[in-house]
Formats: sequence, C-alpha cells, structure tokens
Amino acid sequence: MTDLVRDLLRYTDVATLGYFVALHSSYLVLIAMAGLEFGKHLRRVPFAGADDMFRSPLTLPVSVIVPAHNEGAGIVAAVTAMTALRYPRYEIVVVDDGSTDDTFELLRAKFDLVEVPRVVPGEVPYHAPVLSVHVARGNPETLTVVRKTNGGKADALNVGINLARHPLVCMVDADSVLDPDALLSVAKPFGDDPLRVVACGGVVRIANGCKVIGGRVVDVRMPRQWLVRIQVIEYLRAFLMGRTGWSRLGGLIVISGAFGVFRRDLVVRIGGMAHDTIGEDAELVVRLHHRLRKLREDYRVVFVAEPVSWSEAPSSLRVLGRQRRRWHRGIAEILGKHRHMILNPRYGRIGLLALPYYVVFELLAPFVELAALVLLPLGLWADAVDGAFLWRFVLVAYGYGMLVSLAALFIEEVSFHRYPRWTDLLRGVAAAILENFGYRQILALWQVTGALGALRGGPAKWGAMHREGFDTAADSREPVGVGVDR
Amino acid sequence: MLHLFTVVIEVLAGIVAVTALGIVAVRVLRKRWQRRQAALAAGPRRSLLAFVADNGEEGSHDLVAIPDDAWRAAEPGALALLGKLRGEAHLALVSVFLRRGTARIALANLRSRSRVKRARAAQVLGDLELRQAVPELCRLLTDRHAEVRVVAVRALGRIGDPTAAWRIIASLDRPDPVSSLLATDALVQLGTEAEVTLSAALDHPQARVRAVCLDALGLLGAAGSVHRVARVLRDDANLDVRVAAAVNLGRLGTRTACEPLALALQPARPAALRAAAARALGELGAPAAVPTLAGLLDDDEFQVAHEAAHALRRLGSAGTAALLAAVEIEAERAARAGAGAHARPSAPASHAMEALALARVSAEPVGIGA
Repeated sequence: MTDLVRDLLRYTDVATLGYFVALHSSYLVLIAMAGLEFGKHLRRVPFAGADDMFRSPLTLPVSVIVPAHNEGAGIVAAVTAMTALRYPRYEIVVVDDGSTDDTFELLRAKFDLVEVPRVVPGEVPYHAPVLSVHVARGNPETLTVVRKTNGGKADALNVGINLARHPLVCMVDADSVLDPDALLSVAKPFGDDPLRVVACGGVVRIANGCKVIGGRVVDVRMPRQWLVRIQVIEYLRAFLMGRTGWSRLGGLIVISGAFGVFRRDLVVRIGGMAHDTIGEDAELVVRLHHRLRKLREDYRVVFVAEPVSWSEAPSSLRVLGRQRRRWHRGIAEILGKHRHMILNPRYGRIGLLALPYYVVFELLAPFVELAALVLLPLGLWADAVDGAFLWRFVLVAYGYGMLVSLAALFIEEVSFHRYPRWTDLLRGVAAAILENFGYRQILALWQVTGALGALRGGPAKWGAMHREGFDTAADSREPVGVGVDR
Repeated sequence: MLHLFTVVIEVLAGIVAVTALGIVAVRVLRKRWQRRQAALAAGPRRSLLAFVADNGEEGSHDLVAIPDDAWRAAEPGALALLGKLRGEAHLALVSVFLRRGTARIALANLRSRSRVKRARAAQVLGDLELRQAVPELCRLLTDRHAEVRVVAVRALGRIGDPTAAWRIIASLDRPDPVSSLLATDALVQLGTEAEVTLSAALDHPQARVRAVCLDALGLLGAAGSVHRVARVLRDDANLDVRVAAAVNLGRLGTRTACEPLALALQPARPAALRAAAARALGELGAPAAVPTLAGLLDDDEFQVAHEAAHALRRLGSAGTAALLAAVEIEAERAARAGAGAHARPSAPASHAMEALALARVSAEPVGIGA
C-alpha cells in the first residue's frame, strides 16, 4: 500500500513537471506568434492610413462607454483624456453606477453638465433604474453622463449601450487613460474590413508610476512598488503577447473590458452584457463567437497591439487579491456557461483550441501549481522523491517561467520599447525573476479561491477597488473643453 | 533522469542569461541606430523646413543633392510633410521627390513580389499624387492581398483622377471586396467629374456597389442626382440600399427630396428605413416636413419616434413648436386624468421633452470646463 502511494506521488510529481513544461511552452508559442505579429504590424505602419482615416468623413463614429463606480480619484483625468482623442467623430457616455463618492460631482464641475430628460431605450436589458441623464452644456452630442442606482458593471454597460448613438461601441474602464491615437487604432480594422470584423481589443498597460499630463501619459516609467512592477511583466506576457498570439491564431476569446470595440448592432442582437457572470467582457466575446459560428458567418475578432489604454493596477495585496479572485471566477463562470462549445468541432478553433486551452492552462493552472506545492514536499516526506529531484524540479518549473517572462520583455524591447530608461528595463528584468518567489504562489491561491467561488455559485461581488489616481502635473487640472463633435 | 534534469537546467540557465543579455543588446543597438539616424536626418530636415518655409522657391537643388543614406533617414518625415502641404510648396516638394527618383522606384515596386513593398509603393505614389501611376494602381485593385488593395484605393482617391471611378466601383464587385467606406471615400475624392459614373452605377446588380455610389453622390452634393436617388429609395429590392438612399437624400438637401422621404415613412415600410427617412427630413431643413414628423412621435418603433423628435429639433422654430405641442397635449391629458406632476410621461412626450431639452442646451452659451 505504501509503495502504491509512493508510486502515485512519484508519477504525479513527474506529471506536474510535464504540465509546467507544456504550460510554459504554450506561452512561448504565443509570444513567438505575437513577435511575428508585431513585426508585421510595424512594417505596415507607413501605409496604415491612420491619417486618412482621421480625415475621412466616413470613418465609423464610436460611442465610448465608461462605466464608473466610485472612481473619483481618476475619473476627470480619464474623461479629459477621452475628450482629446484623435478621432473624427465620437461621443463619450459615462455611466455612474451608483457611486457613493464624488465621481459625478467632479464630472459635473469639470464639464458643466446639465440634466436632460433622455429616453433610455431598452434594446439590451438593464435592471437598476436610471436616475438622470446629463450632457455637457454647449456640446450635448459629445459627452453624456448617466446616473443610475448600483447594478454592477454589466448593468452599467448595458445602459451605456442603450444610449450609444453610434454603430461602434468602445468599452473603456473609468481608471483608463487612452493614448491619443488609441481609438483610431482599435476602430481601424472595422473600416478596413467592415464586413468581417465584429470586435477589436486593444492593449492595456499599467499606468502606475507614469506621468499623466492633460489626460495623456507623457512619460512612461516603471511603478515604484515591486508588486506593481511584477504586474507590468504579467500584463506584457498575458495581455500584450498572449492576446496578440491568440489573435494571430484566430482564437481570441478575451477582449478586456478596459479597452475593446464592438459592433453595436451585434452586441444588441446577442442581448448585450450578461448579468450572470463577473467576467462579462470575455463572456461577450465568447457569446459572439457562439452566435456567429452557429450562423456560419465569416467574421474576425482582432487585437491591436499599439497604441494603448493605460490603467491603474492594484498596489496592495488586498485589492490585487480581490481582482484576481474576480478574474478567475469570471473565467470559471464563462467556461462553465459555454461548456457545450468546448471540444465541439462546430465552433472551429474556438471550440477545439482556444476554449480547451483556457480550461487546461488558465483555469486549472493555479490548481496544479498549488497541488505541486503540497505534493512535492509530501513526496519528499514519503520518500517518493529525493531532494535532488525536488530542487531540480523547482528550478526547471520556475526557470522556464522566468524564461517566458524574459522572452516577453525581449519582444517588447524589440517592438514597442515603451520603457525608455535603463533603470526601468533592469527593474523589469528583476521583476520577471522575482515574480516566481511568492507572487505566483499567492496568485494561485487567489485564483483557486475565485474558481471555487464560481463552483459554489452565489452572487459575485466586485468589491471596493481603491484608486490612487494618476501622477499628474499641476497643469492637468486646467479646464479642458469637451471635444467638438467633429 | 537526474542527469537529464541537470542538463536541462544548464541549458535553461544559458537561455535565460542569453535572453537577458539580448534585451540589453537590443537596447544598446537600437539607441546607437537611432542616434545615427537622427544625425543623418538632421541636415536634410533643416533643408526641408527651409525649403517649405520658402514656399519651395529655393533650395530644391540642395535637397536633390542630399546623399542617399541621409535622404533615406529623412524621407518618412518628408513624406509626412507632403501630406500637410498644399499649393506651390506641395508641387515643389513633389518635384524634389520626382527628381530624386522616388516615383520611378515606387512604380517599379508596384510589381514587387513582396506585398509590403507593393503597398508601400502605392502609398508613396498616392502621397505624390502622381497621375501617371493611376493605371498601375488600378491594376492593384485586383491584387491578391487585401492590404495592398486597401492602399491602392486610398492612393487613387488621393490622386483624384476621375477615370479611376469605374475601376474602384468594379473592385467592389468581387468575392473579397475593398471596404465600402474606403471606396466611398476614394470616390468622393475623385470629385464632381465622377458623378456621371456614380449615377450610372446606381443600376449595378450588386447592392454593395449601389450603396457605395449613393453615399458618394450624397457626400459630393450631387443635387442633379436627386431623382435617381429617389427612384432607388422607392424601388430598390435591398433594404440597406434604400436606407442609404434615404440618408443621402437628406445630405443632398433639396426640397424635391421631401416627398420621396415622406413616402418612405409609411407604416408598412421597415423600421430602419423609416428611422433613416425621419432623420433625413431633419437634415433637409424643410419646415413642410413638420406635420409628418410630428405624427411619428407616437410611433411604436422607438428609433422612428426618437429620430422624428430630433429631426423636429433640427427644423428650428416650426419643429420646436410641434415638440412643445406634444408636451402640452401630454400635460393636458395628465391633468384630465388627475395624475400628479411626477406621473410617467407617455412615449411621444418623452421623446419631445428630450429633444426640447437638447435644443435648449445647444442654444445656451458654451461654458465648458468652468
């Protein structure tokens, strides 16, 4: 019996090692794909036609929807940045989802809001009632602020979709600052290939530590805290490289709610954002795939790597834990809800490649990581593995992880090199190494808790997301006019 | 097994170290390259700015004499400058590019095996607005790569030669067509000389072609085409085309468009068409449309009623009076029913109140950022 347990532990440990090798190899493949995609993108910049798009009266207008809940720390900087975007015709719809702080008052003071009795159509369902609708005086077509009782992010987004007047809707987090050309870049695929492109995601990078002036990130720096620096590397690896890689493979199923553009008619047709999951952004994309694959439509969900949306990352373990539990719960809920698509050939690459990958290498990864942390010492104690195996195991598993992060940093340095300082680069390299000592393990614990939360069911909570706001210079507080509806 | 592990760890450590060094090496090399490019481009950039400031009257020989490596470093900036210039300065800078052989190289590259080279060449020829390149660019409209076709369409629009109109229209009638928006934009840039071709293409069997031509005619302000566009609105079998016809009748802005648009508002018509027609009547600015639009405020279709209210707002005092009347009728109804001031207004009154509020806000003096 003891031998059987020993053998079981030994095989489990070897299988775990095999899993880590496969996991990191898959990341490397995605990073390599992303590298190819970036090369392709950069070679095409001279004839991308961004200026032509900006000048064209036919460029599809966009409704930028900004759900906000207690975002007083950064809302003015974020909306100010949005009013200064380089795009021919767009409106901003801020949905104040029952904030208890000064989010609305700050907006009212800054943009001289005035209440109007707008009729909110019910094209997509929303539950919490709308209290009032406000527009910027003198420019009512450009900035709309909606006040509603708290109903969650999906509910707020659905109100925004209902009020959106334009054929494209761009969902942006209220703590985001967009690069001036960001909207032009994410909307461009719709202009170039309007018959097929249904959704386009943009990159989200971390704004902590960067200098924001007049609603623009003007100086990109590494954050001061190591916790956030590690997240910078994580965002590079998972968001920038991972999603670009999936886009190239035709299997993109996650477009961040922090920055994504969708065709409004399709979003309305599939019922808007789902209220029954906390990962409503990714769920929307999976549901789009589901509907369009079922209809055998020829469509594309794409991802653009530059320019970007800058977002504030959690700087404390408590807030980070809450965010990661929420994210993983979202993944678990989406995969559970759309389980009939997994390994179903009817859904093509989404069903046969992307969703199974998410089950094996996203949903289960923290479980395996935690299991390894328990089983390895157990194996050592039970004499199933020896110390020599153990330390080699740890070195291979984490060394490979380190290599993946460094590879992401390498591709970033070759392609976009957004961190110009040598010190920031070295901090990035150090963060890629440090994330393996403690961060990954605690992350796995949060993720497992989140996934189990989805399994248990019950209402999911966003929880308070403490914002510190951006590092702004004094002149950023100067009055900024709302962009004219050009 | 352990030995294999050790080897793997050693290899992994080596790759990690090489990757870390690679990051540093890439940065060092890039910084050196950027410094060199900046140094090379500095002189030509100064000459270019002086040349442009002088309206292109002096300094062209200096620009032509710039060594190739320095010109290559400055060329992206020079091409960007080209897009911002008009008149004499633009022509003078184009002539510098021609004398340097840029157009000749670009024309040759249109037949390159590399799609990136073909697209880049098309972009350059468009920037130079080189009419001789039109036949070759038209050939690229059937290129096997969509990205090349996209750049070719844009370049043809930039050049603005109306003889390209048919070829652009034909590029829409293929299984993997050029984007309708890009084609429309290019056709509009061809100018009023393309109107006859566009008008003739309204009978094209492909719906996409008809919709694009309608948009182009509307944006060109081709008032002479109103009757043909009205006929499309009335008779076309495709809803999207009819919606495009309604939208563009609004853009064309002639009073003769009123009647066909009013007909398109009949309840039997699809909601999307009726909403577009209501909006177009507002764009037309014809007070004669007020009674028709006022009657739509209680339409069952949200979008139709919404567009009718906002069209009335755009029609000025006559439209505002109709909106006020709708609100007053609602107030009287509420009073008769004994409903309080906070009673939920009916749909027509809600749309009217919204439009009136926006009209009031728009009319107020601007005071943003107070």
